[in-house]
Amino acid sequence: MAATLCVKYLPKQGWLPLTQSVRHGSKAVTRHRKPMHIHKQKLMAVTKYIPPPKAAPPGAYITATNRVQEENSLVILIKKDLEKLFQNCRMLAVVQNNASNAEDMRLLKHRLYKHGIYVRFFPNKVVQSFLSDSIYCNMAPLFIGPTAVVVSKEPKVKEMLMTLKSSPQMTLLGACIDNTLLSVQGVVHYSKLPSVAVVQGEFVSGLVMLTSNTASMLQRNPTHLSALLQQYIKQQSPESVVEKAT
Amino acid sequence: MISLIKTAVGGLTGICRAHGHLNGPLNSHMKVLAAGLKTYEIPPDYSDVVLPDKPKLKFMNKVPNLKKAKKEMKKLRDIQGPARAANFFTTGQYAIVAMGGGYLHWGHLEMMRLTINRKMDSRTTFARWRINSPYKPITRKGLGQRMGGGKGAIDHYVTPVRYGRLIVELGGKVELGEVEQILTEVAKKLPFPAKVMSRESLEALQKKQADMEQNNQNPWTFKQIAQGNMLGIRKVLSPFDLHSHGCFTGKFHIPGRV
Repeated sequence: MAATLCVKYLPKQGWLPLTQSVRHGSKAVTRHRKPMHIHKQKLMAVTKYIPPPKAAPPGAYITATNRVQEENSLVILIKKDLEKLFQNCRMLAVVQNNASNAEDMRLLKHRLYKHGIYVRFFPNKVVQSFLSDSIYCNMAPLFIGPTAVVVSKEPKVKEMLMTLKSSPQMTLLGACIDNTLLSVQGVVHYSKLPSVAVVQGEFVSGLVMLTSNTASMLQRNPTHLSALLQQYIKQQSPESVVEKAT
Repeated sequence: MISLIKTAVGGLTGICRAHGHLNGPLNSHMKVLAAGLKTYEIPPDYSDVVLPDKPKLKFMNKVPNLKKAKKEMKKLRDIQGPARAANFFTTGQYAIVAMGGGYLHWGHLEMMRLTINRKMDSRTTFARWRINSPYKPITRKGLGQRMGGGKGAIDHYVTPVRYGRLIVELGGKVELGEVEQILTEVAKKLPFPAKVMSRESLEALQKKQADMEQNNQNPWTFKQIAQGNMLGIRKVLSPFDLHSHGCFTGKFHIPGRV
């Protein structure tokens, strides 16, 4: 009884700590693979072959040959057209074309044409390459997906916005008006501004009012003085003296 | 060839034009004719291939001609690891390559010889053994005999084959497609995994292995760890692993390792 109780505290005899039992016999079996020791399995896992990182797939980057191929005559023609457009037109609005059918497009074109505004289509790649070389390079992000360009020689923003409001397929993305890149919000603000003639009229009227004011102010003091003098003369006149006496 | 035909067609149209017979349907017909021309692949050039006098596989002795046959130990080393001899082509183009170690009996050799000799066209093809006739004696105890009493008598002889060894080589005025079927049929019946390979594919395989060794991104290699005895790993590795670098377990090849 005592022995069984004290077993815990006695040093264990005839007990080897965690030895691996290695079998030495039957090494001649070649029919199957020998089971691998766990340490060797770990070693095999650690020393696995790791391939070098894959190169970028072909077509991921634009190659030099592609760039050279792009410069065919049609592209050059379109680029020339774009250049002329950017030079001549004061308003260039980029519009996203959300699957509008031919009928809608025809109507829109007609409505815009009434105000002297045109809708033009250019391939995005060509536009991007044109913009990257020009001073309008900040416009490049606007040309993504199916886009159209609404151009006019005069900045008729209000008319354009009115017309675009009637066709929900076309979404305004941004515009370049008088060499200023404007967002949609900016375009709306721009449209709310009065026209240049009105502003100039207001300005001129303001100026005229100032000059008339100065004239009146200059005339005011002498008239006041003369009035005072007249009153003084009236007071000094004999009638008044008589009155005093009485 | 095509240019010649084109010129001929051009000449024909020229003649038509000269005679004033140039009309729509004829012209369109001409176009169709030119478009229908097909370019055939140039057949391979076998002008430098010399067929040997005896193109067929030779008969192999079942028992080596020895004065005194001696019993040997198992010596499993002779099927472990990669082949050091006959691991590339000599005269042929296509071969059966062992993808693991093993022993070939006389029966296997006879099967290969009969199948290949029967199925190949001996006027255009030749075949060569790349292995020796059975030379390793295997002993067996007789049936019903009690254990003990020393080593048994020699029962038969075998040919040990290591990984990567060519077994049979074919060549001549043939393409791989013509002999592949014969060779795969034979390779399936061998006592180890075997593959049909051409000169190019074997070279590609060896090059791929060399590339893998060159471009391995793993900083830890089996060779370095085993030879440096890191963390006392040699305790669980066999001396065989020091040479094979973990690419083999016994006669088996482990693919995809460097």
